[in-house]
Amino acid sequence: MGEGATAVMSGLTFDLEKLNQTYHMFNDMAAETVPGEDESIFQFSAKDNLCTKDLQARAGSRILEGYRPPFDATAVARLRSAGGVLLGKTNMDEFGFGTFGTNSGYQVPLNPFDLKRACGGSSAGAACAASVIPGHLALGVSTGGSISCPASFCGVFGLTPTYGRVSRYGLIDYGNSLDKIGLLTMDVGHLRRFLPIISGADPRDPTSCAQPPLELDAEVRRVVIPEDSLNGVDGDVLETFQTAIEHLSHMGIEVTTMPMPALRFALPAYYVLATSEASTNLARYCGMRYGERNEDYNQHFDPYFSKTRSRYLGQEAKRRVLLGTFTRMVGFRDRYYMKALATRELVISEYAQAFEEHDLVLTPTMPFLPPLFADIEGMSPLDTYKADGLTVPPNLAGLPHLSAPCGYVDGVPVGMQFVSPHWTEGRLVTMAESWNGAHPPMRPEVIL
Amino acid sequence: MKIGLEVHVQLPTRSKLFCSCATSAEEPNTAICPTCLGLPGSRPVLNRRALELGLTIARMMECEVPDATWFTRKTYFYPDLPRHFQITQFDSPIGERGQFILDGKKIRIRRVHLEDDPGRVRRVGKTGEEVSLIDYNRSGIPLVEIVTEPDITSPSEARRFVTELLKELRHVVGVQADGESSVRADCNISVAEERVEVKNVQGLRNIERALKYEAVRQVKLLKAKRPVLRETRRFEEGRGVTLPARKKEFEEDYGYIGEPDLGVFHIRAMADALEIREGPMETMVRLVDKHGVQETVARQIVSTSMSLASLFERLAVDVGSDAAITWVTGPITASWSKLEPRLDEVENEVVAAIISTTSGKMSDVEGRMRIEALAEGRDLETIQAPEGDIIDMVESFLDDNPELVKDFQDNEKAANRAIGQIMQATKGSYSSRDVVAAVMSALRKRI
Repeated sequence: MGEGATAVMSGLTFDLEKLNQTYHMFNDMAAETVPGEDESIFQFSAKDNLCTKDLQARAGSRILEGYRPPFDATAVARLRSAGGVLLGKTNMDEFGFGTFGTNSGYQVPLNPFDLKRACGGSSAGAACAASVIPGHLALGVSTGGSISCPASFCGVFGLTPTYGRVSRYGLIDYGNSLDKIGLLTMDVGHLRRFLPIISGADPRDPTSCAQPPLELDAEVRRVVIPEDSLNGVDGDVLETFQTAIEHLSHMGIEVTTMPMPALRFALPAYYVLATSEASTNLARYCGMRYGERNEDYNQHFDPYFSKTRSRYLGQEAKRRVLLGTFTRMVGFRDRYYMKALATRELVISEYAQAFEEHDLVLTPTMPFLPPLFADIEGMSPLDTYKADGLTVPPNLAGLPHLSAPCGYVDGVPVGMQFVSPHWTEGRLVTMAESWNGAHPPMRPEVIL
Repeated sequence: MKIGLEVHVQLPTRSKLFCSCATSAEEPNTAICPTCLGLPGSRPVLNRRALELGLTIARMMECEVPDATWFTRKTYFYPDLPRHFQITQFDSPIGERGQFILDGKKIRIRRVHLEDDPGRVRRVGKTGEEVSLIDYNRSGIPLVEIVTEPDITSPSEARRFVTELLKELRHVVGVQADGESSVRADCNISVAEERVEVKNVQGLRNIERALKYEAVRQVKLLKAKRPVLRETRRFEEGRGVTLPARKKEFEEDYGYIGEPDLGVFHIRAMADALEIREGPMETMVRLVDKHGVQETVARQIVSTSMSLASLFERLAVDVGSDAAITWVTGPITASWSKLEPRLDEVENEVVAAIISTTSGKMSDVEGRMRIEALAEGRDLETIQAPEGDIIDMVESFLDDNPELVKDFQDNEKAANRAIGQIMQATKGSYSSRDVVAAVMSALRKRI
């Protein structure tokens, strides 16, 4: 950890070390400070699964302890060359496997609005930093809702661009067909300023090379809510969401509902695809070329690999590797993996239908308030997976989406999530700006 | 006996299949990068040239080429495989249902696909103290895998198949000349019902040895009324035997899923635009069928060089097949090693010399000498001495051979002796017409 690292934001200086002692948002911190008042220089953080030359990249996993990548992720490199100074790497659920930030091999970030509650996951530290540090820009990553969820729980804007908009070069993979790098911030102006910087084709990630130009000017007039989406949403969240809908109507936006029955298949399909891909991505971590290794080399590679993986991978990582390996097996592949691929197409076409008549699809972001750590311990894996029911569908479909703070229950934030058609991030930026104008988010009281 | 082969051949590209590292390097672990080391956050980017070469091979074997193709992760744990999955093609090979004609017999090709090679494990150190080191220079080297149907009926035919396949590949896509030792094959063989797969046999000779051993082993088992187990075996080169592979070593369930980082490639236009050079086999068949060349001679011509074959075909049109065979198998083959590198420059003159000879404007000796001169790069026009010289040579020759003048008085054909001698002495530097003219005029003066 760097000593005396400070964040200089909006004229205020923060002692990062002290902040981190309270909130646990950073996993590894830079020793750099930025003196002066140069407007073009800004500070940002990167989720721990983004590769950076000067800091460790451990993706929240013990198995990557000590790993310093020899290259910068494209998104990080682009921010640096635009004048960005990297403050640190933010804590996360191991490899992105989690909804609350609690599956970290390192520290678990605490919710800035209530330290007894979770930040949400998996970009937990990113949302926490964006909430606590004024003017902060956090790079997050979403596979199945890992930007929206913590943005909602920490009361910040979380923008997840279209799949392929931001190069994934240098992103430590969870599910390659789902992973998207995006932004978390309390300062809505950052979205318009920084999205164009991290976007754009990168020859080192072929999936980024088919994108149309980013168009930021857009208009939002009609928003639709999927009928079933409010089932299972807690009463206090629902009430806050209903009030937000009224505010939207006052802003001249027409809000209607329509049935979107296929969205409920998104969750199982997502978990099959994400774990299938994850189980192949995690195969490389075996204590041979980087990261933790177990000391006994004098054995066959099979037991050596097993021992390293057993010791340094967390519980949820093991669960997802096993799930994903199972769904790829001969005899199950057609029943699970192939069927999930077909379901993804179904979800995409359901959204396409909704977008024929509407500019955005709207739901609450999470079905409940940021949970207390004490309550999370009692949740089964299935309960946790179900919490992703509203954030997973746009992620599975590769659609851009935005979580915006829409109200507070007992001082704890509630978020709403807008989804827009592929490549139309401009609608979300416009929506965020006009919403922020009428209903700016509350800042948490910073405890040092 | 039924034999099916899965042949792996390295494609001749300068960079690897999914990164820009060089495909050749002197020192271990010098041609490596984050991608071919599988570092977290690295990504594959397809080498277009490798795709083109793969499609060329698929079309050469008359495979059906799909509109779209993609790559697949084949997951297994082995220390030389940095990501612990190989990027290969499972459900969308670049070619399917092709064929290869081997000595007039059709060997059906099941599929052709691309994949990357793992690194190499090296055991080093004194006996008893060996350690394993891994060289990742090979990691990511582009391979094409060609899978046959079980249409091969003997180990020697399998060897011939691979030999002829490599010849074609060398000519059509420029596969390296050391292909015969570096080629690897999985060999499937069944003498009766059950099939045995001998994995990862390296080199032409070993492919035949492994299959021979396996055929004998299976026959012995059957004679002893013992079952042949359906299993995977490996070939131990030193002892020349196949042994059962440990179950773990070749796990059957690779858990194939699509490679999401590469996406789908629409290859129809690329495949259609490729110009496929004719392979030696096809040329040979045409030399036999169209030009009436004996098969052994045709094989000799194409195996010498495909440009020799094309020179032959040109001559066959200009001077007829018989004369073309005589010239090509005779003087041209004799000078071929020197002629081939200069062929682009002198081909027209070579053809012109042969036409002159067959039409009687030039003697055979003269034609042969001219071809030699062209092969050696002697420029006839500049080396040719001024006219005076040849007259001097004729005069001194007649001075040394006074009896020839007398013979000439009796019979003019005696002049041929002088002409022949001087032609040989001047090695074709002068045209026969000039020599004849010089000799005749000198002799007539002396009568």
